[in-house]
Amino acid sequence: MSDELHNGSITAGRKKLISLRGVSKNFRKNGKEITVVNNCNLDIAENEFLVIVGPTGSGKSTFLKMIAGFEAPTTGEIRLGGEIIKGPGADRGMIFQEYALLPWRNVLKNVELGLEFKGGKSEARNRELAMKYIDMVGLSSAVNKHPVELSGGMKRRASLAMILVTKPKILLMDGPFNALDSKTKMTLHEEITRIWKHERNTIIFVTSDLDEAVKLSDRIAVMNRAGQISNIFRNDLPRPRTGKAALETDFHNRFVKLREEVLNEVKAGAGKAVCEY
Amino acid sequence: MSEKQQKSRTGNIGGFIADRSYYVLGVLLFLVVWQAASMLKMFGNDFSEAFSPLAAALALIEMAKDGDIVRHAVPSLRRVLVSLACAIIVALPVGVLVGYFKRLEQLTYVVFQFMRMISPLAWMPIAIIMFGVGDVSVTFLLWLVAIWPLILNTAHGAGRVSPLWLNMAKTMGAMDAGILRKIIIPAAIPDMLTGLRLAVGVSWIILVPAEMLGVPDGLGYFILDTRDRFRYDQLIATIVVIGAIGYLLDSVNRWLISKYSWKI
Repeated sequence: MSDELHNGSITAGRKKLISLRGVSKNFRKNGKEITVVNNCNLDIAENEFLVIVGPTGSGKSTFLKMIAGFEAPTTGEIRLGGEIIKGPGADRGMIFQEYALLPWRNVLKNVELGLEFKGGKSEARNRELAMKYIDMVGLSSAVNKHPVELSGGMKRRASLAMILVTKPKILLMDGPFNALDSKTKMTLHEEITRIWKHERNTIIFVTSDLDEAVKLSDRIAVMNRAGQISNIFRNDLPRPRTGKAALETDFHNRFVKLREEVLNEVKAGAGKAVCEY
Repeated sequence: MSEKQQKSRTGNIGGFIADRSYYVLGVLLFLVVWQAASMLKMFGNDFSEAFSPLAAALALIEMAKDGDIVRHAVPSLRRVLVSLACAIIVALPVGVLVGYFKRLEQLTYVVFQFMRMISPLAWMPIAIIMFGVGDVSVTFLLWLVAIWPLILNTAHGAGRVSPLWLNMAKTMGAMDAGILRKIIIPAAIPDMLTGLRLAVGVSWIILVPAEMLGVPDGLGYFILDTRDRFRYDQLIATIVVIGAIGYLLDSVNRWLISKYSWKI
């Protein structure tokens, strides 16, 4: 197990952006009160890439939804830059597990949507910006296609561009690359890493894929079946983490070691009973 | 009809012509059976000749020449289009609100379903008391029949808006007005158009009896007029005109649906 502190300290010199203090979320299901997120404390730094992993039903998605502002914590508080989060906002762009593309708009029009909501810019400027991000996610050849004509990977890219174009300070990604083939996934990993470096935003990324977690993260938070953050691992692997670098024996060993540590933590957490009362 | 089916039909020219010729053949067969029935005096000895398609065709030419068709079709179309426009103005906002707000849907559900099932002709005496005999009464009755399919279908469409789209809009910082304009209304358009198609259908059907209530023109009026003049050939010709205009109106609607409906 990592000797990283629980409530893992943010690397020195990094500015705290989001802080969760004693955050719990209860739902009523079949007349029973279920604790989905249980007394979580966490600080997230500016420009950090935080990945949350854990077994299914460990409250990862709910965790993200609370930061997005779609769900309010039952107890505790979540602060963004010192302010308590009260609802969704353009500073926190969320990319959902399912595709949220509007079926009556083509790719270009879908990506322009966020800019239309913002207003204040000319149509030509919106188009230019949209094209820039469509290009960034590698969808230039499909700008005029409607969602129904896109493959799963293309839909993910379009959803990504749709949120990125609004330049959110924080990107909340709920299993954005689930169920994609490994080649598409790898391409999108490179894209998202490049965009993250370029835009200098903060990313909170939920996944159940541990390779993905080790590849992308600055830190990995592990949630257990009781809805607690059971441990946080710092990921100091040098970037870039693909291509030549990944072939180095030392890098590879560290990669696998970290993945194993995270895996053991996830396994340990999966056994714990769901907290009910 | 799905796009796939349409494509495969129009995919090759031979198939396209074969498909079309069956439509035409159906019409021709209908005319042949109709003509044979009238020649065999199946509509009675006195009337069968006037009821034949040939007599109707001749009467149609006569009515086209002396302007009777235009004189009566134009007021009929005007009444239907004006009442539809008024129905759309009322039904779209009501439908969107009812579809979007669950409580509003619950508040209105029983009343709307109840009102929908009442023939507008039942309101006829009330319409005449309120608006007198004439255009306004007829337009009111047509309006009353058109709003229900428009409201209920628009509500259905607005109610089907995926919560995912709404959440996404919110995470982009969208306000209510933007969500309404850019998500809910466009999402409801296919259902609105279905509602419009149904509304046009029932309006056109109700038009004929509504125009029998004392207006001085219109196709419904002209049916009674031809009867009073014992011109049964013209009566049949008028029926043909009513059917043809109704078919055209429906075709326009089908075209609108195929053009503006999005697919998932």
